[in-house]
Amino acid sequence: MVLFCLAMDKHREQILDKCIASTVVGFCRPTAWLVLLSTTYLSVESFGWSIGVAVLFGALTIATLLLILLLTYRAKTVPPVAVLLSLIVSISLVIR
Amino acid sequence: MSNLIANLNFSSARWSVFSRVLAATFGGYVLATSSSLFIGKLLLPTLGANQAIHIGLLLSFLVYACAAMWVFSVSSAGKAWLGLIKFNLSLVVLTWLLMLFFEVSV
Amino acid sequence: MKENFRQSMKWFHTWVGLIVGWVLFFMFLTGTLGYFYQEITRWMEPERPFIEHNISNERLLDIAQNYLSEHAQGVDEWDIMLPNARDQNLRVGWRKPPAAGAKRGKYQKTVLDISTGDKVDSRATGGGRLLYRMHYRLHYLPTKISYWLVGFCSMLMLLAVITGVVIHKKIFTDFFTFRAKKGLVGWLDIHNVLSVIALPFHFMITYSGLLFFLFTYMVLSSNLQLSDDEYSEMRKEIFPRTSHLESANEPKDMLKISHLYQQAKNTWQADELSYVEVFAANDINAQAQFVRHETDITYNPHDAVMVNAVTGEVIIQAPKEYTVSGMIHNGFFSLHEGQFAGPIARWIYFITGLIGTAMIASGLILWTTKRRPKQMKKLNGPDFGYRLVEQLNIGTIVGLPIAIAMYFYANRLLPIELSNRVNWEANVMFISWAILLLYPAFRPATKAWREQLQLAALVYMALPLVNILTTDKHIINSVLQQDWLLVAFDLSLFIIGACFAFSAYKYKTLTLDKKQLTKAAKARATKTKGVVVDKSLLPLQAMHRENS
Repeated sequence: MVLFCLAMDKHREQILDKCIASTVVGFCRPTAWLVLLSTTYLSVESFGWSIGVAVLFGALTIATLLLILLLTYRAKTVPPVAVLLSLIVSISLVIR
Repeated sequence: MSNLIANLNFSSARWSVFSRVLAATFGGYVLATSSSLFIGKLLLPTLGANQAIHIGLLLSFLVYACAAMWVFSVSSAGKAWLGLIKFNLSLVVLTWLLMLFFEVSV
Repeated sequence: MKENFRQSMKWFHTWVGLIVGWVLFFMFLTGTLGYFYQEITRWMEPERPFIEHNISNERLLDIAQNYLSEHAQGVDEWDIMLPNARDQNLRVGWRKPPAAGAKRGKYQKTVLDISTGDKVDSRATGGGRLLYRMHYRLHYLPTKISYWLVGFCSMLMLLAVITGVVIHKKIFTDFFTFRAKKGLVGWLDIHNVLSVIALPFHFMITYSGLLFFLFTYMVLSSNLQLSDDEYSEMRKEIFPRTSHLESANEPKDMLKISHLYQQAKNTWQADELSYVEVFAANDINAQAQFVRHETDITYNPHDAVMVNAVTGEVIIQAPKEYTVSGMIHNGFFSLHEGQFAGPIARWIYFITGLIGTAMIASGLILWTTKRRPKQMKKLNGPDFGYRLVEQLNIGTIVGLPIAIAMYFYANRLLPIELSNRVNWEANVMFISWAILLLYPAFRPATKAWREQLQLAALVYMALPLVNILTTDKHIINSVLQQDWLLVAFDLSLFIIGACFAFSAYKYKTLTLDKKQLTKAAKARATKTKGVVVDKSLLPLQAMHRENS
């Protein structure tokens, strides 16, 4: 469960970078890196140093794949999906 | 058959490629070997014989890959061969020097 | 070579990929399936009982001990493998004493039926294990030759990965670019996307693959530097083994293994046993080692607890020490095999492996797509090389999956008493592949693509049906027994078939003549806001959808 959450965390910021032109673009990239770092931390904390890193790379791969597919075929859905997934992330983090 | 011989016309492009393939395959392998020998001797004092040799071997694939890439990027096959021979010789000499150095100091 | 470095590398990347692309596709596909090899074996041995829920480890250990005491007396080591989600049955194994003149005895493994305590006879099959072993041993070839061939291909793959990164100019700016357009641009984008998103994996898997046979490939170097003794010393350092006592040939009763297990539970503070090794059973030197699932990529010494089987005391063992280089080497092995992976991580490995497979496939298709306009204009039809590549593409990219399905069909349909059944299952697979490789020579390329895609769809979707007709471990029963592994397998087969069906359908609509195409495009354009969906979708969506 936590794993999927980790994957979804990354979406939150990268979407805004690409899809929607907005004035807070400057904000986005650093926040994206921050989210990535926190995702790494979570992964390592749950799975230990060695497995955590491997799992993180795997999750990033899947997340990027989903993101690219969504961007190409259903670009408009990306922001709502990202928000939804982030909500799921937060809730499951709280639960565990 | 005669077709084949007719095609064997030493056109420089094909021979160049073939020559580079040979250079990359065999020359590269020799380079990977000599580099692993070199690294084995280089890391000897810091890590001990087994680990030094092991690391040399682990890195040999990277060396091979770089050698192959290099062979296909230089401007002529001849240069590739020369370069490989130069690299190999230098590595062998350096390794030999290291061996002498360690024997003397130990 | 060419005008500049990047151009030479582009040429190099193309040729390196082209020479061994199909073998690499085979290796990647069988390797990816190998991540689920235990599950595949489970499906291919339907005589094994359904998984038993809610049974205690202690009870399982008792059943195993009873069987082993009766059938495996006087051997050096007993192995007891507890059922888990992947391999759902209790298994026991032991190595028989060697036959005259042989160095090691044959290893005997059998599945135990929990309700009767007796062994289960399943049909002779290579299972998933044979499939994934082909990944590095190929088939029909002596292993020495295979290892070198596989090494050659892996080396070229490494070159392809490195040169691929070098020639991809806009690797960061184009990170998310996927223009789903027809033809060259679409395929190039797919190839790039698939390569980049899993780049760490691709590099890791290729390099670690080469490392598996490090000493075989770098034989010259190791012979020059190490004598035979030094070599075995070095190997022991890189791959340390725990030691255990040998049998003293003095029989003595052991405590029940299920009681000894309590010691392990105390150490781990949890009930997470994976398997047990019993050394010198029923002897004064009897020892039992309890091992749990991996918790670390390299090695966690607390994963194993060794207990004196006669007295019940824990034996404190000096943990295996890894050197730095040993850790790197073994770490790579672990990452490649993914033994440590739990269910979610395993699916991620599988998907990423499929991404790698699709990357190779898209590269091969990209090659023909790029050259098609020029080749089609030639007077006598396309060149031999072009036609060969196209034929191999069709026969491999669609043909190999069909051949693997045939492997599963053979498992279900070949008579159980057939001698050499294991070999025949594999033979069926390769014979079908050969047919599918030859078949495109006799059809125009577009027709061959479509027909093979349709065949693939048919073959995969029908497989669960055949399962229902030939065994009792089909999807309906599995759902009733809550045996989710088997359910997942049958469902995956069906979904794969559906993906192929979808691809065949899409391919058909795309190869209609221009008039119909623009008409269809206009119709679709009104629905999907002008995104012209096309052939570039097919494998990507196929691969994507497989992963439920």
